[in-house]
Amino acid sequence: MTVATRGTARTLAAICVLVAVAVMIEPALAAGIEISVGAPGTVTVGQDVEIKAVLVQDGQPVEGAEVAVTYQAALGGESARVELASATTDETGTAVMFYQQRADDNGEMQVVYVGPEAEPVAPYTFTIEVSPSGEQLYTNQSGVSIPFVNGGLVILVISGVWFFIALAAIYIVRVGRAGRDETTEPVTASTEAGSMWISVILATAAIVTATGMVIVFVRAPVANTHLTDPHSYTRTPIAYMGTTYPYIGFGLDDGIGTESGDAATDGGVLYFEYACASCHGLSGQGAVIGPALMDEIGSFGSFNEDVREGPKGMPAYDEVTISDANLQKIYSYLTESG
Amino acid sequence: MDTLTIWRERLISKTTKPTLHTTYRYWIWLSFLILIVGNGAYQYSKQWRYGLVVTDMRDRISWGLYITAFVFFIGISHAGTLISAILRASKASWRAPVTRIAEFITAVALLVGASFVLIDMGRPERIFNVYLFGRWQSPIMWDVMAITTYLTASIIYLYAPMIPDLALFRDRLSDKVGRFRRYIYETLAIDWIGTPKQLRLLGKAISIMMLIIIPIAVSVHTVVSWIFSMTLRSGWNSSIFGVLFVAGAIFSGVATLILVMAVLRRIYHWEEYLTQKHFLYLGYLLAAFGAFMVYVNINEYLTEGFKLEEAGEFAFRQLFIEDFAFMFWFYIIGGLLGPVVLMLVPKTRTITGVVIAAVLVDVAMFLERYFIVVTGLRVPLMPYEPASYMPTFVEWSIFVAGLAFFLLLITVAIKIFPMFAVWEMTEEHELAISRMSTTDQDTAESVTQGHTIGHDAPRQPDRSQGGAP
Repeated sequence: MTVATRGTARTLAAICVLVAVAVMIEPALAAGIEISVGAPGTVTVGQDVEIKAVLVQDGQPVEGAEVAVTYQAALGGESARVELASATTDETGTAVMFYQQRADDNGEMQVVYVGPEAEPVAPYTFTIEVSPSGEQLYTNQSGVSIPFVNGGLVILVISGVWFFIALAAIYIVRVGRAGRDETTEPVTASTEAGSMWISVILATAAIVTATGMVIVFVRAPVANTHLTDPHSYTRTPIAYMGTTYPYIGFGLDDGIGTESGDAATDGGVLYFEYACASCHGLSGQGAVIGPALMDEIGSFGSFNEDVREGPKGMPAYDEVTISDANLQKIYSYLTESG
Repeated sequence: MDTLTIWRERLISKTTKPTLHTTYRYWIWLSFLILIVGNGAYQYSKQWRYGLVVTDMRDRISWGLYITAFVFFIGISHAGTLISAILRASKASWRAPVTRIAEFITAVALLVGASFVLIDMGRPERIFNVYLFGRWQSPIMWDVMAITTYLTASIIYLYAPMIPDLALFRDRLSDKVGRFRRYIYETLAIDWIGTPKQLRLLGKAISIMMLIIIPIAVSVHTVVSWIFSMTLRSGWNSSIFGVLFVAGAIFSGVATLILVMAVLRRIYHWEEYLTQKHFLYLGYLLAAFGAFMVYVNINEYLTEGFKLEEAGEFAFRQLFIEDFAFMFWFYIIGGLLGPVVLMLVPKTRTITGVVIAAVLVDVAMFLERYFIVVTGLRVPLMPYEPASYMPTFVEWSIFVAGLAFFLLLITVAIKIFPMFAVWEMTEEHELAISRMSTTDQDTAESVTQGHTIGHDAPRQPDRSQGGAP
């Protein structure tokens, strides 16, 4: 009995020591990390935005933690959080993230804790007001840039050609003038009424057209390389281009998001993943190539048959490409959302 | 009167003949053309009201007969450039009687061709967007540029050498024609009295245009071909398209020139000036270009066919053995090899032979443009059934109206403008005579004949037969 009692007391003591040691050697337990964020209240489309996040745990800065700034993106009726930028905190617990504002509305933004701890940390939610700049954003120029082989050269060639056309027209005007100068007495009755306005008009038309042609080229709006100002192109609506593309944000590239448990939700993602949307429309409503799927989908049996065989020029998808389970999910998505 | 003056007077009377004499046949022909153009205008009004749905062009084959006609007419317009500018630059003396007709074909065909672009647009008023928002990275923009430049240049190039002849008409015909034409001659002749200074200035204008219009013309049809070859389509992925189109343009241009010449020669009895020699020389040009086109085609199809990618296989099958095989083989055998054979065989080396060759070439070149446009678009980009295209009645009507309008403009121009470059022809004739007087009499005689009348001229108008009309 005493032995047992003594043994129990020793065990308890050992546990207490172990717990105390464990508490002392693991100070950075994820729980209790607080994120605070410094961000501008208003930004303009095209502006480079700086987001500063500070991580504190029990009054101490958290070093080496990875954080990311995300925004709420929408695509084809679906909505997901898409990462804009990420960074790791320094010794002061501060992470500075940069991104270029490209969407005209960010919705609800968050700075989220990514790692290294697995335990969840409450994200810091905030909003940034976006004011449209009215400017076309441009991506980096692709292709090979050859010095001097550009729009300027084209304008030079056109100007050169039109210079000679105009020159010839001016010579024709001078032909008329030469006739007028030497005709003190009209050669025939008819020359008296003769005029040279037609040649002047010809020359004027040539010169005006020449100038017009060059002007059209110089002021041609260009998305990638404008001769004078790359920002002056305003006709195309502003499109999103983040550091993480929306389809990555949706997990379409790695299969994440297809195991949510709800067949219809998974099916929606798979519908994009297998590119059904490219022919049948973003929500299965039908498009130029593929017919509408929502209303006239029929039984799963006929749906399955169609997908496997590929009727009317549709590619056939076998069981290896789309598993039966995934096909069932797509079917659920189409029937339930339709 | 010395022989030169007699020769010149005779030429003038022949040149002014269409302006002064109009038969009832002319009016019938004119009414016939106006009727066809009118029908085209009516059919176009339908297209204006209902949109392009009245054509058979749909999303997959979105270019059809209109674009074919556009390329075809722009091609024809190269007649003037080659015959007139290149022969003038190379000082080929036989060119003088055919230059004016060639230049007219150029300007008129360009007008008709350019208007087919407008006709092909469902919303023609949006043409202004090209000027407002045009981007120079777009091949369509290059086309607008090139054709505007070419049209302006070819009108000036038509007009400048015509000034002395307009002045001639002004001086000779003022009391014989109505007020309208008198006004035209007086206005367009811009006080031309033929002083040395005027001649010098005019010579400069013509020289400039002659040299500048050759690169412009080449660029125009190259740019037209780029509309196709810069588009991601299997049948159009070709670096040789520019050459193929320019050669084809000159080819069909010469053929059209031969046809127009043959008709005018017959109606107005210009056998004396448009001799068998002119037809044969143009026929040789035709044969040479036919052979060159064969070479370019072998280049085009052999390089692509040797590698034969998946889409290329479809393009080849439809072109060589399936839907478009008839057109393609007619084009190769009838249109390209036909003229070569006709010019090689001595028996067919006649005006009739040349005219037959020209008809073959024009038909073949039209078919070539048609199958280039349609087969290129027909190759499926995704696994769907290949689309089909058959021009509707509206499209055929407008296309035929385009042809009729082309003929109508020439028909009207004949009644107003001098169709021969009288002053240039006289100059060449003078040159030939002076050359003759410095050489032995026997050879000189043949030079004159070879130059002015050719081997088979029905009459001898020159020195042996003075005092004509």
